Amino acid sequence: MSLAANAPRPARSARGRYGRFMTALLRGTLRLDVLINKVYPADYNPLYYTGGLANLFLFILVLSGIFLFFYYEASLGGAFASVRYITEGVPYGGIVRGIHRYAADGFIVAVLLHLFRNWFTDRYLFSRDNPWISGMFLLVFGGFVGFTGYQLVWDERAEVLTGLFLGMLRGIPLVGAGLARVFLGGEGIGDSTLVRVLYLHVAPASALYVMLWWHYLRVRHPKIWPPAAWALFCLGLVFLLAGMIPATSGPAATPGADATSFPMDVFFLLPFWLLNWLPAVLVVALLTILAVVGFAIPYAGSRERPEAMEVRHAGVAQVIDGNCTGCELCYYDCPYNAIVMVPSPAPGLSRAAANRTLLAIVLESRCVECGICIGACPFEALELPRFLERDVKQLVTEAVRA
Amino acid sequence: MRNLYLAGVVLLSGLALLFALGILYGEATDRWFFGGAMIGALLLAYSFIMLLLRKMGIIGPRKAER
Amino acid sequence: MSEGPKVIGFICDWSVDLTPLLEGGRLRELPNVRIIRVPCSGFIRPGWLEDALARGADGVFVTGCPYGDCLNREGNYLMRDRIDQLQRRLARRRVDAARLGMLAHGLHDREAFLAEVRTFVERLRALQAPAPPRPVAEPAVVRTEGEPS
Repeated sequence: MSLAANAPRPARSARGRYGRFMTALLRGTLRLDVLINKVYPADYNPLYYTGGLANLFLFILVLSGIFLFFYYEASLGGAFASVRYITEGVPYGGIVRGIHRYAADGFIVAVLLHLFRNWFTDRYLFSRDNPWISGMFLLVFGGFVGFTGYQLVWDERAEVLTGLFLGMLRGIPLVGAGLARVFLGGEGIGDSTLVRVLYLHVAPASALYVMLWWHYLRVRHPKIWPPAAWALFCLGLVFLLAGMIPATSGPAATPGADATSFPMDVFFLLPFWLLNWLPAVLVVALLTILAVVGFAIPYAGSRERPEAMEVRHAGVAQVIDGNCTGCELCYYDCPYNAIVMVPSPAPGLSRAAANRTLLAIVLESRCVECGICIGACPFEALELPRFLERDVKQLVTEAVRA
Repeated sequence: MRNLYLAGVVLLSGLALLFALGILYGEATDRWFFGGAMIGALLLAYSFIMLLLRKMGIIGPRKAER
Repeated sequence: MSEGPKVIGFICDWSVDLTPLLEGGRLRELPNVRIIRVPCSGFIRPGWLEDALARGADGVFVTGCPYGDCLNREGNYLMRDRIDQLQRRLARRRVDAARLGMLAHGLHDREAFLAEVRTFVERLRALQAPAPPRPVAEPAVVRTEGEPS
């Protein structure tokens, strides 16, 4: 059954008030593009490369992090001194430390831009839930890595943060006390605590690359790097900031110190700011709820009702087995790696298909119903179930006749 | 418009030379933070030069987007 | 009276938002342009464009999202390549490349879209104008399709 594909769109196609709000966000996001495209050529628009920007900052973080790792000493007595030695004793060590700090902020900014843009422009529908879920993991892990980074410096801020974090851990029902003990490596803060914090900094950072692999899995030709001009800009910005506003430690942490305030970093330490007014349990609950809502967006967050999407929801692409010649054009064109070529179990029906060795298969869980494979196929071997070739031809005939 | 872009490229190139000299100065006098800031300023200048060249049409779209 | 060249436009449903400009499947400002909505600019088989020209359309164009912002990531680039190839193939059959067009416009780019479609239609009009040479007996009047003699 074909769609009344070209009837005028019903006015209330969005899903109630939530849908109308999300549609307004979509329109606002794209209006921002109009403004940006006035200044930059479209292939330099940074909002088209937010993922690439995040990856660039991650790369900068890894390189500067390796440098820092070589000099850092993970013990209560040595941590602060080793960080000071990096900043003041190693040539350009302070620059590398500053780059690490500012690239981390840049990473979070880029990831959030990426998240909001892809959320507001409906780029999480159908099988694009995979990049979304892996992306949420990247955000959560990235945020945690930033927090442990602040702890590693072991200045007063780090000590206060550790105390607050332990409070949050202990507030978790049932497992809280156990988690706090695992984190501490004993009953109180000791050398083993810092070793564990270092592990909790480097290991999740490495795990980010595993999650990135998952993030890219369903996507053909992912835009991994931004345009060269933007790469130069971001690199230059972190160098400049590192030179002009050096990253510094606060006063050294002392056991039993009574510091109650510290300089805030809005990118990583906001939950601790909330602890000024809310009990730890509530902050943990809030963060959990935010994470759950974030993970649920592809499944419950669609802007339009499915039937309101009309041509954009014309059904998963279907291979017409008899016509497929195994030419692989659909396989090369599918932007989501949803088509695989398999050895053909039997010859096709048409003359061209009779000699095939390969057959195209659509992995329905990966198909987003875009129809690009239909456009690629020269042998009429692919169709969208609710928008068939004969529907298109009929629309063309009507259009020409009128 | 094109003349404006060209003037910008010339200005930025002059600044880039200054920044490069600044890097050398920072290295010579062991002022590491100054040297690092100069590196940053140089890269920023390069990125704006690239933007202006792109707007003038001298460099074209990325290969993936031609 | 001729309305002008018959043009069919395939518009990606994610790209330019034409809802306020449409009236019964045509553009209100350019009534000779009929719009067909598709799920992505990459959905179009080049064969359908050829078919549209063969069935009597004077020109046919495809509109996708701005390059770099295709919702399905590569659809507009793929369609641009396919239309380039189709134009080269049709040139062998002496079909003018100006009869096919590839446009790229975002949600809010209605004005830019209309301007580009107008240019496309004007180019088509210019293609129709030259009539084949007539025998000497008849007055040498240039005729466009559909005009009464």
